[in-house]
Amino acid sequence: MNEKLIKYISEQLLNNELEDDLEAEDDLLGDGILDSLGMMKLILYIETEYEMKVPPQDMIIENFMTVQHISNYLAKQRS
Amino acid sequence: MEFKDKMIYTLPNCIENSARLFPNKEAFRCGNASLSFQELDIKTNQLAKHLVDSGIQKGDRIGIYMNRCIETSIAIYGILKAGAVYVPIDPISPRTRTKFLIENCGIQFLITVPKQKKRVAKLLIEDISLKQVIGFSDDSDIKHFSWESIFSITLESYQRVNILSEDMAYIIFTSGSTGDPKGIMHTHKSGLAYAQLSASLYKLRPQDRVANHAPLHFDISTFGYFSAPYAGATTVIIPDAPISLPVSLGALIAEEKISIWYSVPLALSQLLLSGVLDQHDYSAIRWVLFAGENFTLKYLKGIMEKWPQAKYSNVYGPTEVNQCTFYNFNAKEIFKDYVPIGDVWDNTEYKIIDEDDKEVHKGETGQLLIRSSTMMLGYWNNKELTEKSIYKQQISNNLEQVYYRTGDLVRQDNLDRLVFLGRKDRQVKVRGYRIELDEIEAVLNDHPSIKECTVCVLEKDNDQKILTAAIILTLGASTETNELITHCRSKLPTYAVPQRIDVLKNFPRTSSGKIDLTQIRKTLISL
Repeated sequence: MNEKLIKYISEQLLNNELEDDLEAEDDLLGDGILDSLGMMKLILYIETEYEMKVPPQDMIIENFMTVQHISNYLAKQRS
Repeated sequence: MEFKDKMIYTLPNCIENSARLFPNKEAFRCGNASLSFQELDIKTNQLAKHLVDSGIQKGDRIGIYMNRCIETSIAIYGILKAGAVYVPIDPISPRTRTKFLIENCGIQFLITVPKQKKRVAKLLIEDISLKQVIGFSDDSDIKHFSWESIFSITLESYQRVNILSEDMAYIIFTSGSTGDPKGIMHTHKSGLAYAQLSASLYKLRPQDRVANHAPLHFDISTFGYFSAPYAGATTVIIPDAPISLPVSLGALIAEEKISIWYSVPLALSQLLLSGVLDQHDYSAIRWVLFAGENFTLKYLKGIMEKWPQAKYSNVYGPTEVNQCTFYNFNAKEIFKDYVPIGDVWDNTEYKIIDEDDKEVHKGETGQLLIRSSTMMLGYWNNKELTEKSIYKQQISNNLEQVYYRTGDLVRQDNLDRLVFLGRKDRQVKVRGYRIELDEIEAVLNDHPSIKECTVCVLEKDNDQKILTAAIILTLGASTETNELITHCRSKLPTYAVPQRIDVLKNFPRTSSGKIDLTQIRKTLISL
């Protein structure tokens, strides 16, 4: 799941060139990797790709800080 | 508030004064980090001493290379106390721009935080003239100093630098519509004038908790960094993470009991659309200030319904003059077509002029000129542009008054309120007709299926000008562009109806959240 998300973020959402490849532990929010609109796009992608709905109350830092956080969240939702 | 013993005429005086009056009161907080006025006063003295001991001279430019964090407040006031000039550099901006700023300003000292270590290292590989990095220790060729080493400096031999109100304090760079970024120079006087006027207009009190949403390189941040400390209020610096997640941001606003909010309209629209405003108690909010873009009326109305107890202020002012007009209203106010920018505030006057620099008749549209105590010193390294941006009113042979040409079109409505009509360069001529792009946007935004839109003129190689609208539809809307054209036809003259409407998933943005017009043009041309 991580690779798929990393691929999508790297190819579709980056505002600026990244110095290194994106890693699952990179802070997506605190390091300027994703802005608020990038985050909305990512959530839309997750909803279509994984055929699920991310309710607004789940769109929080604890679930979306890193790719790893997102994967954990998705795993929990789908189990 | 009274300031009996000491006069306040520089920006650091604000901190020193509040440290005297409220030493233990929280001045800044960000996440779990917090600084009282006294701590801030001491830490900024330590930084200032270090800078002066390292050879910093009055007027030297020093870069602040930081994300949103508590250290921003120490950097700003430490630099100012050293008599130097702070230049915010957005760490997320492309390296070419960072390099340009450093070279253009002759920056030799960079103040940063450990989080930016990687980026700083990459910067240092480039051929730039940095002599010192403050923020973390490192073994590279140039000198590094950690924050810990700064905070262990003793202040016994510290001598305050003599700063005058006319001395330069900071340079904020904005992207010029063409070519290189423009550096807007402000003095202690113009920055402090802004702090005092805004503190007085919004009746800032020590009990206030002011949210700072804007990054340092965006001048809205001067409210949180200057005005709030001037009034002894607490500034809550919103960390980066909640900025991207409206639900978390909404929770933070409630948790921090924010009493004054100031941001671009976009941040408020996103809060509204996320639904978070129904989940928490926001009764502490007493002022909502917004600036930078027109607030789409349907979203403004939405916010006013959610926060009925708050007062609202439509703030207007190019970075060159900080803020200069305001329109204050309460949640009951009804707007039909527009929210006025109101009237100029204290110590400020204006004129509205036509293409020939003649004053227009009342009610006519023209360019707004501003004369104010909050006026910039000029553009950094660009005398020519400074001259061009100024309008001089001859009073007598040897006396003239200087106005800033805002480049913004305004008119007075029948209640004598100023109405913002758009950038002078947003007024275009297509087939000989003068068209206000912002007016078309307002009409499009009226349509329920449109979430956001922007209108521009695309030029094809054969000089053909095509009035083009880029839109984002609201979630689930399946409106055909034909219907939108019909909608425009019903409200606009034929020549102002977009010839082309492109539906996009989202818009490119500048780091301050505004729509990136240059980028969007490129996108549209490539479609």
